[in-house]
Amino acid sequence: MTQQPPTLSLHGLTKRYGRHVAVENLTIEVPAGVVAGFVGPNGAGKTTTMAMLLGLVTPTEGAGTVLGHPLSEPGAYLHRVGALIEGPAFYPGLSGAQNLAVVAAAGGHDAARIAELLELVGLGARGDDRFRGYSMGMKQRLGIAAALLGDPDLLILDEPTNGLDPAGVHEMRQLIGRLADGRRTVFVSSHVLSQLEQICNWLVVIDHGALVFQGLASDLLNRSATTIIAVPQRDSDLPQLERLLNAAGHHSEVAGAELMIAVNGSEPSQLAAEVNRTAHADGIVLVELGPTKTTLEDRYLAMVNGGDR
Amino acid sequence: MTRMFKAELLKLRRRRTLIAAGLAALAFAVIATVAVLLSAGSAGGGGSQSRGPTLASLAEPGGATEAFSTGASFIGILVLVLFIANFAGEFSQGTFRTLLMRQPRRIGLLAGKMAALLVFVAGTLALAALMSVVASLAFAPTQDISTASWLTLDGLGEAATSYGTALLVVTAWASLGAALAVLVRSAPIALGIGIAWSGPIEHLTMDFWSSAIQWFPGLLLERLADGGSADVSSSHALLVLAVYVSAAAAAAALSFRRRDLTA
Repeated sequence: MTQQPPTLSLHGLTKRYGRHVAVENLTIEVPAGVVAGFVGPNGAGKTTTMAMLLGLVTPTEGAGTVLGHPLSEPGAYLHRVGALIEGPAFYPGLSGAQNLAVVAAAGGHDAARIAELLELVGLGARGDDRFRGYSMGMKQRLGIAAALLGDPDLLILDEPTNGLDPAGVHEMRQLIGRLADGRRTVFVSSHVLSQLEQICNWLVVIDHGALVFQGLASDLLNRSATTIIAVPQRDSDLPQLERLLNAAGHHSEVAGAELMIAVNGSEPSQLAAEVNRTAHADGIVLVELGPTKTTLEDRYLAMVNGGDR
Repeated sequence: MTRMFKAELLKLRRRRTLIAAGLAALAFAVIATVAVLLSAGSAGGGGSQSRGPTLASLAEPGGATEAFSTGASFIGILVLVLFIANFAGEFSQGTFRTLLMRQPRRIGLLAGKMAALLVFVAGTLALAALMSVVASLAFAPTQDISTASWLTLDGLGEAATSYGTALLVVTAWASLGAALAVLVRSAPIALGIGIAWSGPIEHLTMDFWSSAIQWFPGLLLERLADGGSADVSSSHALLVLAVYVSAAAAAAALSFRRRDLTA
């Protein structure tokens, strides 16, 4: 995977609109063949970044390459890129198939694939219906079919699950999973990590236009702070246990009827044993003791809400 | 440009669009012919003081396309509105975004789309011209108009001139409308500017500044459609309009090429 040059490589990419900074000094790299989740809260700069990749928006500063070609020459790489950005945009009076024919003609793609692509995205029976009559999910799927017209090496999808009901989100996730056959790179954005974590093996997290994390999704999980929770039999023992543990060099704090002890690189089971010994030595009886592991979503939320950069 | 030309033609080649264009051409031909022949009949056999054609002038070689020429001089604003709506609609629907991801050469995209639309307009105009000739041939006997000279070489030459003039006028209106839409990117605002300028503003200005007729695009297009007038020759109108259209096209191309597409 890392033998090939990266599909996306951005260096110091910045976009300003007057005094508003949409994307700030963004440096990211997305390896070839991965399904990369591009995650951040609404307004974090995801769509602007994607628009710069697609030549729709000119960066104020910075540079980068897409499929080995400079960002400043979108004509050199866009024929190998399929994209859905800012929602599906088609002609309301044309059918799904006619819209795909127009896009195929504009891109110089083979229109013979239209029927096959409509089938792939589950619109085989509705291809002759007008776009204006499509549901949100159908519109999104038509957008993906259009993105696939050139059999692209890079697929850029901007919030493809937006506006979909839970069943639609599930279908879309399955579709993206099918499209990511290891041959092409998928760069898909969402403001909800849980919608992507099952299909992404690479993550780029941004907030307020700046990079927060990039790397393997498993690395983000491994960075997750594990916490030990200790619950004394008597609530009145909580301050004493906190004092004892902090005096022993641990970081603990009372949260309701629990004491949260940060693992901070320790082996969670050894730390739990030490907490138990400390409590027992002071005559404190614990009725609950054990590690609690944060999820990827918890970790993401902590990063974007807590300034963990 | 070629790819975008084909893509735009795909939209225009739909049966619904073709039927609408055909019906519009038919309505135009019938209404223009009936109106012109009836007004000529009511104006008398000749020597009328009005600017419109007379029964005598309709019997001349250009009589077959007189209705077409007269009618064409009134469709400028309609073409302006259609082109503004078409180009501004690409922004509001987000379809320029979809197309630019497939055809990133922006000026080529604009040129291809404009060329396809103009080809379609030229075809519709030719159909309207043909239908108006047929309608004129059909209605002429009701007004005792001789059609003997209509289908002569001179008559065909006059018809070609009428069609060419109408095409020039329509192309100019279309170019100005498209450029305005690309610059403003909003159909309501572009329509407001285009209609207000070419309608009340130009005509009211002409009331206190008579030279406006020499320089304002809408007024020049009216004169060009009429085949020139005593105060503005066709060649002067053509020259000034060529400058307007070139400047508008250059401004639109520059804007479209440089500005971000965020919608």
